[in-house]
Amino acid sequence: MNFMGIEQFPDYKVPGTQHQDFSPYESNGGSIVAIAGDDYVVIAADTRLSSGYTIHTRKQNKLFQLSGKTVLGSTGCWCDTLALTALVKARMQMYEHTHLKTMSTDAIAQMLSIIMYNKRFFPYYVSNVLAGLDNEGKGVVYSYDPIGHCERATYRAGGSAGALLQPVLDNQIGFKNMQLDGEIPKVSKDRAVAIATDTFISAAERDIYTGDAVCINIITKDGIEVKEVQLRKD
Amino acid sequence: MSILAYNGGCVVAMRGKDCVAIATDRRFGVQAQTIETDFEKVFQFNPRMFVGLVGLQTDILTVRDRLMFRKNLYETRENREMQPARFAAMLSSFLYEHRFGPYFIEPVIAGLDPKTLEPFICNMDLIGCPNVPDDFVVAGTCGEQLYGMCETLWKPDLEPNQLFEVISQAMINAFDRDAISGWGATVYIIEKDKITVKTLKTRMD
Amino acid sequence: MALAEICNISDAPYMKMRNFTTSDLEQESQRYVSNLMNPYVLQAPPFENPVENLNKIQASSDKTGIKIEFDHGTTTLGFKYKGGVILAVDSRATGGQFIGSQTMKKIVEINQFLLGTLAGGAADCVYWDRVLAKECRLHELRNKERISVAAASKIMANIAHEYKGMGLSMGMMLAGYDKRGPGLYYVDSEGSRTPGNVFSVGSGSIYAFGVLDSGYHWDLEDEAAQELGRRAIYHATYRDAYSGGIVRVYHMTPNGWINISNTDCMELHYKYEEEKKNKKH
Repeated sequence: MNFMGIEQFPDYKVPGTQHQDFSPYESNGGSIVAIAGDDYVVIAADTRLSSGYTIHTRKQNKLFQLSGKTVLGSTGCWCDTLALTALVKARMQMYEHTHLKTMSTDAIAQMLSIIMYNKRFFPYYVSNVLAGLDNEGKGVVYSYDPIGHCERATYRAGGSAGALLQPVLDNQIGFKNMQLDGEIPKVSKDRAVAIATDTFISAAERDIYTGDAVCINIITKDGIEVKEVQLRKD
Repeated sequence: MSILAYNGGCVVAMRGKDCVAIATDRRFGVQAQTIETDFEKVFQFNPRMFVGLVGLQTDILTVRDRLMFRKNLYETRENREMQPARFAAMLSSFLYEHRFGPYFIEPVIAGLDPKTLEPFICNMDLIGCPNVPDDFVVAGTCGEQLYGMCETLWKPDLEPNQLFEVISQAMINAFDRDAISGWGATVYIIEKDKITVKTLKTRMD
Repeated sequence: MALAEICNISDAPYMKMRNFTTSDLEQESQRYVSNLMNPYVLQAPPFENPVENLNKIQASSDKTGIKIEFDHGTTTLGFKYKGGVILAVDSRATGGQFIGSQTMKKIVEINQFLLGTLAGGAADCVYWDRVLAKECRLHELRNKERISVAAASKIMANIAHEYKGMGLSMGMMLAGYDKRGPGLYYVDSEGSRTPGNVFSVGSGSIYAFGVLDSGYHWDLEDEAAQELGRRAIYHATYRDAYSGGIVRVYHMTPNGWINISNTDCMELHYKYEEEKKNKKH
C-alpha cells in the first residue's frame, strides 16, 4: 500500500499498473475579502465551489456566522473547512454553556489559532479570515495561515484570489502609495461594500476558482445584513 | 523555485487613448539577495516601441541583443522602421525556434505603429505564444498581483497623464506584495510626439 | 485503583463516572482540540515521518495547485551592552514569495522582563512563546520570584527538543533582565540553547551581522546602541527580499522593556540616503 508516497508494507505488484501518490488535500477554491471600519465590518466571499476544472456548485456560502457579531470566512480544502467550522461551533456552544455568555470576537480568534495549531503536523488546508466587532464595537479582521498564525488587521484578502485582491485593498483601503495630505481618510461602510464588490468582479475575470456570485455580510451593532451580488458565471 | 523567478522582477504595459505605457521595476537579485537596484528590464527598440523582458537575467540580456540584431537586419534590408506587430511576430518565431530549450523570459511589447500610430501591446509566454489584448498585459513574479490591480484600475481611453497614474499605482502596489520585485520603478509613456520617462519613488525593502 | 487501571476496568461502561461536566460528547470533542486543555499535546499526524511527508505535500504544490505555505522569513537581532539588551526586528511575513503581512509583530512581550523574538515558522514561534508565557507566570506564582532568563530559555529548549525531528521551525532569541543582570539566549527548533552577547537570526541575518559587528562594542551609549540595531535591520531589509516593513527596536533595561521605536523602512531608507548625500559635501 502506498500512503503518501511511503511504502508501508509490501504490495503485490501487478505489472503495468500505475501507482498514484495519495494526496490528502484538494483545493476547492474560493476567495474572501474582509474590511473593518470604526463601527462596522464587511466580509465577502464568492459562492463557487470547484475542483480542478469542474464546478461542484455555484451556490456554496463560505461565510459562517459564528455569533451575532462574528463571521468566519473559510476556503481551501472544503472538507477541512467543514471539519474546522463544526469544531469551532461546538466549542463555542460549550463555552456558552459554561460561562453563560457568547464568545467575544477576540476570544474566538485566539481559539481558532489554537485549534488550527493542534493539527500542526497534518494541517487543515484552509485560508481563514475572521471578521467581527470587538468588545468596544470596533470592526476587526483576523487572518490566518494554515497552521494558525493569526494577525489582527483592518483589511485582508484570502483564498485562491488572495494575491490578486490584497494589493487592491492596500491601495483602496490602506491608501498605500498615495500622496496624501495629512491623515489617512476613513472608509465609510458603503464604500467598503462597494470596494469589496468591485474587487470580486475583478477577481472573477482572472481567477477561474472565483465567480458566480459574491455573498457579503455587513456586521454592525444592529446585526448582520446579508447581500448577494452576481458575478461572471463562466 | 522556478527558474523564471530566480532573478525576480516584473513588467506591465497598458493601452491608453492614442498612447501606451510600459513600466518596469529596477531590482536585479539572485533569489533572496538584492544585487543591484538600477537594472531596468525595458529596452527601447524603436523611437515608439519598447520591449520589456522579465525572467532569467542572463537570458534577458542575450535575447535583447539577438532581437536587436534581427531588428536591425530587417530594417537595413527593408529600409523602413519595424512595426510593433511585425516585431511581435518575429519575437514569437524567435522564441519558438528554441521550443525544446527555451530562453527563460516572458516578453512584453508596447509601442505605437510608426505609420498609423495605432497603440499596440502584446505579451508572450517563454516559447512565444502571443497575446494581443486591448487593455493591458503583465509579466513577472507578481503577475497575479498585477492582474488584480490592473483589472480594478484600468479603464478604456485613458489620457497619457491618467494612464501614468494608473500604471504607476498598479505597478507599485502589486510589487509591494511581492518579495522579489520592486526596489524602484520606471514608467515610459509613449505618445505620438514624445516619450516621457519617469522614475518612481518606492519602498526599498 | 491501580489494579483496576491495569485491568482496564475503568474503560467499562458501568465504571464510568456520571456527572454533568464530562460527557462522552465532551471527551470526543476534547480529542480534536487536545491542546486547549494541555498545550503540549498536539494531534499526531496520520503518517510517519512528518518532516519528509509534509515537505512532500508542499513540494508537489506545482502539480496539485495546493499551496500550504506557512509564513516565513525574517531578520532579527539582539545584543547585550552596558545599558542592557537591545532587540531589533523587521516585520515582514512571507508565504512563498508573496508578502502576507508587512506589519507582523516579531517581538513577543512575554512579560515585563522577558522578550522573545521570532524567526522561522510564525505560528510555531507564537504558539510556543504563549506556552512559555504561561509557564513563566506559573513559575512566578509558585516561587514568588520572577523566572530567570536562563530558566525560561531552558523551558523553551526543552519544548524544542521534545518536538525535535517533527519539523518545527523556530529560531528565537530570549532577552530579559534578572538577578544576574541582562540575559540573552538563542534557542532554536533543533534544541540548541546558548547564551551570548551578539546574535542575529533569520534570512537577513548575514547582512545585519555585517553592520552589527562593525559598530558593536560593550560601552555603547543607549542611543547609539538603539541606532546600531535599527541600522543593522534596515540594511538587512534592503538586501534581503524576505525582510522588510517596519523596523521595531526594543530596549531591555533593569526596569523592564521599553519599545523605543517602530519606523517604516521607506522612511529610514530616504533618511539614510539623505545623510549619505550630506556627508559627501
